[in-house]
Amino acid sequence: MTENAVKLRVELVWQGDGGDAARTPPSIYLTADGRVILQGAAVSRAEREALALPLDAELISVDRTLIRAIKDML
Amino acid sequence: MFLRNYWYVAASAADIGRKPLGRVILNEPIVFFRTEDGTPVAFEDRCAHRHLPLSMGKLVGDRLQCHYHGLQYDRTGRCVRIPGQEQIPPDAKVKTYPVVERHRWLWIWMGDPALADPATITDFHWLDDAAWGAKSSYLYVKANWQLIVDNLLDLTHLAFVHETTIGNSALAEHASVKVTRAPNNVVVTRWIVDQPAPPTFVKVGGFTGNVDRWQIIDFTPPAFLRLDVGATPTGTGAPQGTRVGGISMRNLNAITPETEKTSHYFWGQAHDFDVTNAALTQKIFEQIETAFHEDVAVFTAQQRNLDLIPDPPQVDINADTGVIQARRILDRLHGEEQAALHATAAE
Repeated sequence: MTENAVKLRVELVWQGDGGDAARTPPSIYLTADGRVILQGAAVSRAEREALALPLDAELISVDRTLIRAIKDML
Repeated sequence: MFLRNYWYVAASAADIGRKPLGRVILNEPIVFFRTEDGTPVAFEDRCAHRHLPLSMGKLVGDRLQCHYHGLQYDRTGRCVRIPGQEQIPPDAKVKTYPVVERHRWLWIWMGDPALADPATITDFHWLDDAAWGAKSSYLYVKANWQLIVDNLLDLTHLAFVHETTIGNSALAEHASVKVTRAPNNVVVTRWIVDQPAPPTFVKVGGFTGNVDRWQIIDFTPPAFLRLDVGATPTGTGAPQGTRVGGISMRNLNAITPETEKTSHYFWGQAHDFDVTNAALTQKIFEQIETAFHEDVAVFTAQQRNLDLIPDPPQVDINADTGVIQARRILDRLHGEEQAALHATAAE
C-alpha cells in the first residue's frame, strides 16, 4: 500500500434543492494530504481555441452545481 | 440556540404516569402526567399563583393540584379550583404543549401549537417493531446539545474513545467517507473494507476474520441521528449492497436540549438478527451503553472548557465535513425561525 493510499477519504455530494433528480450530482474529494479534487471534464483543444483559453494550462470544465456545492460545503 | 417549531422527545412513555414528572426542555419548565384514562398531558411547570413547580403537586382525578396553596388545574392548563374562593381569575392558567406517544417515547411540540403536525415526527420505528430486537435508554448530559450531534456525525472518534467496544484504528485510518448534503438533511456514509472487526462486533457477531463494515448516519434537524451500522465477512458483497452472514443494527439518537449547557439524550439500539433473544439484546445494549458513557465524559469535559473559554478558536479537519454541514443547516433554520418570529411580532 502506498504512502498516499486511503487513510480517511472524504467525498462530498450536494443534492441541492431537488432540480433534476435523474442527474448525478458532482463530487468533491478531500485528500489526506490536504488537496481538494473536483469532478469535471477535460477541456478539448478545439474548445480552448474557440474560447481563446490557454492551450498548455491544465483546465477542467465543472458543472455550475459544483460551484454551489463548493460555496455551501467547504 | 434552540429550534422551536419541532417535535422533541420529552420522556420515555413508561416514565409518564400518575405521579407528575417535571422536566426542563429548551429552558422551559414543563410538567408531565397522565389523566385517569391514560392520556398524556404537558403544561408549564409553574403555578400561576406563586410560581411553585406544579410537578411538586399531586393529581386529584384529572386535576393537578399545586403543593403550595392547592390551586387545581385541568388538562387544558386552566385553573378550575382555588381553595377558599369561588371566583377564579381569568389569567389563572398555564401554557400547554401538544404531546404524542410514538415509538415508546413521549414527543412534545415546543413551538407554535398551530404548526404541530404529528405526521412530521421523525421515524424511529425500530424501537417498537417486531422485526427488531431493541432496547432504549436515557442519559442526562451536562453539555450543549450540538456537541452530541457533532459526536454522532464524526465516527472517527470511535477509534480513540471506544477502543474496547465499537472502535478500532481502521475507523480513522482506512475509512471511505461520503457526505451527502441536501437542504435539510445530511447523510454520512462510511465504509471500512477488509479490516478487523471491533471487540463488540466479535462478541455479538462471532467474526473471526476481517470484515466489511458500514456506518450510515442520517441527520435530520434539530437533533435526530439514526445510524445504520453493521458488518459482514469481507468479500461477501456488502459494499455492493449484499448483506449476508453478518450483523446489522440501528443506533438511534434523539437529543433534546434542556438548557444551553445541558441536554436530555434519548437513545436506543436495535438489531435484526436473533431478534427474540432478550439476552442478546441486553448484551448489545450494554456494549453500546459502555461506549455512550465514554462519550458523556467527553461532552462534559468539552463543555467545561467552553464554559471557561467562551468562543475559542477552532480548527476543522476533513473528518468534520458532515458535522460542518449539519451545523450550517441548523444555523440557517434558526435564522429563518427567528426572522419569522420577528416578522410576526412586528405585525
